[in-house]
Amino acid sequence: MAATQTVEVTPRHRTGHARPGSRGVLRWLGPMGPALLMLLLFVAGPILWCFYSAFTNTALTGTGAGNVQFVGLANFQRMLADPQLVPSIILTIVFVVGSAIVGQNLLGLLIATLMQNRGRVIRAIVGTVVLGAWVLPEIVAAFIWYAFLNPEGTLNMVFKGMGLPAQNWLYTTPMLAVILANIWRGTAFSMLVYSAALSEVPPEVQESAEVDGASVFQRFWYITLPLVRRQIMTNLMLITLQTLSVFTLIFAMTAGGPGTKSQTLPLLMYQQAFKFSDLAYGMAIAFVLLAVGGIFSAIYMRVLKPEI
Amino acid sequence: MARPQNNYLGVTSARKAVSATLVYLVLAAIALVFAAPLLWVVLASIDPGAQLSVAWPAHPSFDNFAAVLTVDTTLRPMANGLLMCGLSAILTMVVSVLAAYPLSRYQLRFNRPFLYIILFSTGLPVTAVMVPVYSLFVQLNLLDSLVGTAIFLSATQLPFSIWLTKGFMDGVPISLEEAAWVDGAGGLQALRSVVIPLMLPGMAVVAIFTFIMSWGNFFVPFILLLDPNKQPAAVSIFNFFSQQGQVQYGQLAAYSLLYSIPVVVLYIVVSRTLGGAFTLSGAVKG
Amino acid sequence: MARRLATAAIAAGLVAVAATAAGCGSSGSGDPNTIKIAYQKFGNYIQGDALFKKVKAQWEKANPGKKVTLVPIQGNDADYKTKLSLMQKSPSTAPDVLYEDTFTIASDVQAGYLAPLDTYVSKWADWSQFVASSKGSVTGQDGKVYGIPMGTDTRGLWYNKQIFAKAGLPTDWQPKTWNDLLTAARTIKAKVPGVIPLNVYVGKAGGEQSSMQGHEMLLYGTENKLYDDKTKKWIAPSKGFSDALGFVKTVYGEGLGPTPQQALSPSIGTQVGGTLLPKGKLAIDLDGSWMPQTWISTGASPWPQWSQVMGTAAMPTQNGQAPGKVSMSGGWTLAVGNKSTKKDLAFSFISTALNKENSLYYDINATQIPVRTDVANDPTYGKGDPTAKFFASLVPITNYRPALPPYPQISNEIQVAQESVVSGQATPETATSTYANSVKGIVGANSVTAS
Repeated sequence: MAATQTVEVTPRHRTGHARPGSRGVLRWLGPMGPALLMLLLFVAGPILWCFYSAFTNTALTGTGAGNVQFVGLANFQRMLADPQLVPSIILTIVFVVGSAIVGQNLLGLLIATLMQNRGRVIRAIVGTVVLGAWVLPEIVAAFIWYAFLNPEGTLNMVFKGMGLPAQNWLYTTPMLAVILANIWRGTAFSMLVYSAALSEVPPEVQESAEVDGASVFQRFWYITLPLVRRQIMTNLMLITLQTLSVFTLIFAMTAGGPGTKSQTLPLLMYQQAFKFSDLAYGMAIAFVLLAVGGIFSAIYMRVLKPEI
Repeated sequence: MARPQNNYLGVTSARKAVSATLVYLVLAAIALVFAAPLLWVVLASIDPGAQLSVAWPAHPSFDNFAAVLTVDTTLRPMANGLLMCGLSAILTMVVSVLAAYPLSRYQLRFNRPFLYIILFSTGLPVTAVMVPVYSLFVQLNLLDSLVGTAIFLSATQLPFSIWLTKGFMDGVPISLEEAAWVDGAGGLQALRSVVIPLMLPGMAVVAIFTFIMSWGNFFVPFILLLDPNKQPAAVSIFNFFSQQGQVQYGQLAAYSLLYSIPVVVLYIVVSRTLGGAFTLSGAVKG
Repeated sequence: MARRLATAAIAAGLVAVAATAAGCGSSGSGDPNTIKIAYQKFGNYIQGDALFKKVKAQWEKANPGKKVTLVPIQGNDADYKTKLSLMQKSPSTAPDVLYEDTFTIASDVQAGYLAPLDTYVSKWADWSQFVASSKGSVTGQDGKVYGIPMGTDTRGLWYNKQIFAKAGLPTDWQPKTWNDLLTAARTIKAKVPGVIPLNVYVGKAGGEQSSMQGHEMLLYGTENKLYDDKTKKWIAPSKGFSDALGFVKTVYGEGLGPTPQQALSPSIGTQVGGTLLPKGKLAIDLDGSWMPQTWISTGASPWPQWSQVMGTAAMPTQNGQAPGKVSMSGGWTLAVGNKSTKKDLAFSFISTALNKENSLYYDINATQIPVRTDVANDPTYGKGDPTAKFFASLVPITNYRPALPPYPQISNEIQVAQESVVSGQATPETATSTYANSVKGIVGANSVTAS
């Protein structure tokens, strides 16, 4: 790791040696070629197709499969009248705020801060356990949490041991259940990001503040946080986008239920597009999801004002 | 740096000792909470009579592992998955390094908007695009091909990987490259001989990340592969999950553990080779 | 130097894509002597796979030079349907023979996925063996035959004779009306504590089992149905619909059923078959003919005593009106893909797969009710399963779901209505009018009629 960390100390050279111009663009385009080709062919192309089909009656079966027609804004009009849409948007936002922005982000920051300058043993133990949850495949994580929160599961065992009544978590508090599971699964990423960021805060800055009699929290709030501001914004953006599209975890744990109590937008989309074969309507919902992602990103850029 | 030499120091060390203990307690609690959900799956896997409740197995044995360790259930799907995800990880790594080079080294106005736009597309669940991708694969004659599926998985991982790789590359000072140019090295050569060696750990992170993401992906191989003998472990584990509630919890737990082994091993090997925990240092400057 | 870098990179990218494009693609689709069979193989459902492997060997032997490629699809019902639709959209991947749910036939015909089989069945002597109601279930709205049924299922009441004896109820029980059923449940609640008197599936988590076993088994015993074949309109709201919800309200409101938590959990189906019935925790269960599949020695929860403990009764109509009992049926078929260029071979394969011997083999293995009279009358059918004859006897009075494209969505609305009643959020009447509005939203107000 020495390589990346030591060189970080020197300020980055961002002078660049290419002048904008046709030659610069060409040089930019060259190495970018394979990536652009793959992104255009397999990501941009399909997304554009999805966007177009949201304005048609495309379906997996029935008339919309044999005879595709342009229907204008019909899918979006139907969506506005759909009583499931607004609750799903709210649940998606609750899921992102609860599990990513508050949960993973703050817990990751907390663990990274506490682990800073601690012994190797404790770092290794905590790091391994937290990272272990992260490297497990999503479906396994979902299954582990399904078992953990079940009426006879481990958590209720602990509750009973403490003299508290057992709960059917997946039934009574499905959103809390999937949020906890997603915090468990995703915190490692934020922890890694913040560990890296904090390791670059020069120790002298902290020490001089200590001499001035600043408390731990004051030092953290006034000195450390402003220095890792950019990493916070990047982390928030990355985990928000990842959390928005979480499907398997929720599908395997609650299938969006009971009722529609944990039906986030990706689940609603899956239900409409694949269970009901109404692909066009599902695509319209997918674009609501993208719009939610866009709003989140815009807020981050506004609030945290990164120096671009 | 001079420190005040009076009893103020004594107060500080006492306070430090207390706060250190507190920190260790909190960290221990966090580790415990994170480990708790894992307890059941480990115990159940060695308990042939496992139920959803956590219990020390009455007759611990490896029967569950023996039952699922067959060619059809575990071995072939795992081999397919290793091949597909391995290819995907390597391809993503190579393509990302190439793409990150101009993003990191040439200051063009559209670099940042470009990064944001491609990153933005990751907010869409991959299930949404599978229908057009299927048609595309039919057109390209890539359907039912492990390599084709690996390429698609790479493409979906690229936005994130390019972003990370660019961050790592920004951490390699351009002055080192300039020295290489003075010695007469070309761009490709400088990238290969100077930049890449310095950012190998970063590239490993990208590869692991891609591998983990593709390893858990069910829908992409399910849609793009036809031959059941080519399906990776992600598809066969979902097959297993339909039996949820049908008593065979022990086998399900055993299979879950087996299915997780490759990613855990990969992570351990890479983080060991790179010396210590894996870091995202430099990659996330924004 | 940058140019060299660029050229190298582009070349590398193009080579990679070209190599894969040339190297590996789907094979076999163009071969005139090979037919492709697509079917589901998922979780416990492996009986189809066993049948097709067996038939492949038989058919290849009988047709030298011809080959069969089996394409088992490992996905749940929704994913299976998705993948099958995608395969059918492209001529190069469209299967020749496919395993198809009877109730998706209508929409797949509309989509142009299925080939009509009339010319084939008219020359197939075995077709006369298939019972009329099953032929109806594979006939499209244009009156043509689009699939050959593999078997069917019926639904009725399973009851625990030991619990009935304890409660002082007759062990050869047959309720005549909904009230008889409720009275028995109330007796059990009073006399045998600790036992769930009656299970009726409800709610979204149960999916289709809630709609079919739970709601439609009640609704089709009233004066109403879901859909009017004559006017081609969906019936909503109707008194029958709200009465069916009222029945569910009584069951859950009086504590005659499982707790709402249990009833609304996704695992209720497997709990009923796997633990509640075998452990004697449930007295009456409104369920399907396939239950013994779980209990036989090769099943998921072997229960050797099941045939002595469990009794069966037909589900009564609401007030005992004719025909006195009610049942619902589903079932799967083998169909020929419309894009297939080898339809003759495809049908030849189907006629082997569903001849008397193979149908018998499949129906026994997969606990299906035979749709061929020669299979139903075969002495080996129903041997070791005393309930098989009873459930087969329900075939003449059974009902099929409206096999129309919007059905899956309407089925979902039924489950939503049930759930709102069971959880106490709505009365049967308000849930019925909510349902009616949703149906209008799905199919348009013109395609809905009140009753």
